[in-house]
Amino acid sequence: MPALASPGAVVVVLLLTGLAFLPLIGISNYVEHIVIISCIWAIVAASWDLSLGYGGIFNFAHIAFFGLGVYVYAVGTKALGAPTLAALPLAGVVASLVAVLITLPVLRLKGIYVILATFALSQLILQLVLSQNQITGGAQGMVLLPALNLFGVRLASYGKVGFFYFALLLVFAATIALRWVALSDFGRSIVALKENEDYAVARGVSIGRQRLIVLVASAAPAGVTGAFYAAYLRVASPEVFGFDTLSIVLIILLLGGAASITGPVIASFLVTSSTEALSNLGPARFMVIAVVIVVILRFYPGGLDALIEKLWSKKPAPMEVMRWIQRRP
Amino acid sequence: MLPLVLDDLVAGYGAAPVLNGLTLEIGARERVGLFGPNGHGKTTLLRAISGLIAPSRGSIRLFDKPISGMSPAAIVAEGLIHVPQSNLLFPEMEVLETLRLAAHSARARQTTAASLEGVLTLFPRLAERRSQKIKTLSGGERQMVAIGVGLMGAPRLLALDEPTLGLSPKLKDELCVAIGDIAKSGLPLLLVEQDVEFLLELTDRLVMVTHGRCGVELDARQGIDHATIMALYFGEGHAA
Amino acid sequence: MTLETVASVLASALVLGSLYALMAAGLSLVWTTLGIFTFTHGVFMTIAAYVAWQVSDNAGLGLGEAAGFAVAISALAGLGCIAERLLIHPFLGRENIVMIAVITTLAALTFLENAILLIWGPRLKQLKPLATGTVGFAGATMSAHQAIIVVVAPLVLVGLWIVLKRSRTGAAIRAVGQNREAALLIGLPVGRLYMTAFAASAILAAVAGILLGAMRPMTPTMGAEPLVKALIVAIFGGLGSIAGTIGGAYVIGLVEAVSTYWVGLYWTPAVLFAVMVAVLLWRPNGLFGGN
Repeated sequence: MPALASPGAVVVVLLLTGLAFLPLIGISNYVEHIVIISCIWAIVAASWDLSLGYGGIFNFAHIAFFGLGVYVYAVGTKALGAPTLAALPLAGVVASLVAVLITLPVLRLKGIYVILATFALSQLILQLVLSQNQITGGAQGMVLLPALNLFGVRLASYGKVGFFYFALLLVFAATIALRWVALSDFGRSIVALKENEDYAVARGVSIGRQRLIVLVASAAPAGVTGAFYAAYLRVASPEVFGFDTLSIVLIILLLGGAASITGPVIASFLVTSSTEALSNLGPARFMVIAVVIVVILRFYPGGLDALIEKLWSKKPAPMEVMRWIQRRP
Repeated sequence: MLPLVLDDLVAGYGAAPVLNGLTLEIGARERVGLFGPNGHGKTTLLRAISGLIAPSRGSIRLFDKPISGMSPAAIVAEGLIHVPQSNLLFPEMEVLETLRLAAHSARARQTTAASLEGVLTLFPRLAERRSQKIKTLSGGERQMVAIGVGLMGAPRLLALDEPTLGLSPKLKDELCVAIGDIAKSGLPLLLVEQDVEFLLELTDRLVMVTHGRCGVELDARQGIDHATIMALYFGEGHAA
Repeated sequence: MTLETVASVLASALVLGSLYALMAAGLSLVWTTLGIFTFTHGVFMTIAAYVAWQVSDNAGLGLGEAAGFAVAISALAGLGCIAERLLIHPFLGRENIVMIAVITTLAALTFLENAILLIWGPRLKQLKPLATGTVGFAGATMSAHQAIIVVVAPLVLVGLWIVLKRSRTGAAIRAVGQNREAALLIGLPVGRLYMTAFAASAILAAVAGILLGAMRPMTPTMGAEPLVKALIVAIFGGLGSIAGTIGGAYVIGLVEAVSTYWVGLYWTPAVLFAVMVAVLLWRPNGLFGGN
């Protein structure tokens, strides 16, 4: 088992520990809100990094896992009366099931077609949500969702502090879990598949099974986080499937760098606090994000673009593959 | 006014240049053959003069006009036409359609009809294949289209990169005759080939390209024996 | 099942198929020429509909339909050129251009959707139909506007085919798509041809947007759903040939019409996805082969 520690991991631990002390010195609700939202996007981006950065799978339905989580909480607790705490793992399960569904086209398709098929799937899920008016509230979404109840304690009774610590806990757990998966033997095998598919397959790596597992492992945290997001805001809106959400997560990934897990977590705090600072711009805020995305790609080709380079071109990294192959019995 | 003057040309891909200060002149009506080991800059030289890659140093003058840094389209319009190695052209397009399209610059368009007639006379087989898609042609026929495409651009200087690569000896002879006909017209020619015999037959002067520079020059009109060539490639020790 | 039912399902399939064919042909044109996929296609439709509304409607400039369409189509041609310059051109030659273009065009989609929201607001608008009244079709009826869509879309696509096949620019665009370097070496202005292809694709989106804007209420996100259908068509027919894409569009139109009639509107997205997956299992390169 390789060490989970890395410069990025150290920064994340310091960051989260530092943040945990903030409520003790008394910070505003607004700052707490930004931290909570940052944690949420951090998990969504970092879990996407697992399948995209490590697995090399261009799954553009990742946002839909998050959106499904939101609606599992909303529909599960409000319409079906499920216990609010149970809705969180349930959301992870539902997202995982959809990940299984996605594996099929992902295995059959190559290049741009993977992006098209997964993107189409996420938008079809959105259309399904919009059309099931009587259950999901259609375009209006759902409001006044039941409050999150932790074994008899209403989390909301403590203002935002309860959610604040819950969010820190979630992001901490997710970072460890995702890094653990990424750095395990399994993680090495999916990197090997990404970088030299033919060779890895020839060495007995099952492409179907590994891609399935990595998609599920990346979907589950996103689903749980979606449910938490709904529990926190107590509304569910179809916008969570939209391009605005996608643009936020994309910019976090572009800034944070791929195949690190910790990079997107750190970037999420930067991006979220900047975009929240722009929130009085309304829709123009997303226009700013969009421009920044293109500017990053255009003018920092050496730094940030290098990550896409790494993702898109399947240049074999013989050292990495060899190291993994040698570890096998 | 020389057709082509290259002075101290440096060009390549990424950090390491392939051309290291190459200097070469082509005289009026002159046919120059380039030979030498692979990877020493023959193809890079053609890519640099046709504008596909930008030289990092040195000058390229076409009939006294500096063309270094110009776009490939502008260089084609000036009359320098480069027919690349193993040109796959446009697989889904028909032969005649491709030839017509290749007369693109304003200068070339004026002579479309005459150029087309010239190409079809030079390669009668293309007339038979005129409405066939390029992907259905044989390697030799495709090479004929590639040279035809070069001629349609109304060249004032034609650069051919290994026009007979991978062809059978019979086809090679056929193309040799055709290129000889082109050469007889007085069009300045820059011909890259591995086969020195082929160059001896078609050109006035042979220049060896090694390490990104022009090396030994040979006068094609004085016969050159096999041993000399071997010595050039492998050093004096192998001459015997 | 009566003949009328069949006729009305077919009518609806033709309307949908025609719209999707217009959309998907533009995506395929860009793919075969530039080798990239553009997500701006749906929002281009939306902008065209809004510009047409702004110019033609009495709540806007009130200049009438013809002016509205003309302005919308020219505006989109211009927007297509600008988009190509900003989103594609700077990245040409990079190895990962396909992925970069996905991200830049998605960013542009976000930008433009929010710009529409800022300029025109969230309130629903609608274009006037091109014609009023209904047209009979083997016992079923469709609105005159829908009948116009069924006729206009194939005409536009035949026009596109003639331009690509017979005109010099069309031949040049095909040549650039098949071999960029060979195109450079015969002196074709590759950059300008890329821009032209992108603008032509934007014009196709504009025509689809104007036709759709009179059929459904217009919203800033109205382009998202047709874009997704066009994606399915692209996967279905393969992006490699425009003809295959157009064929795929009519097949998807038929599937959607049949599914809407028998399964219902709500579950049609699920049916479409199932059909897409089934086709992929059967023919990974799309229904009409190719790559």
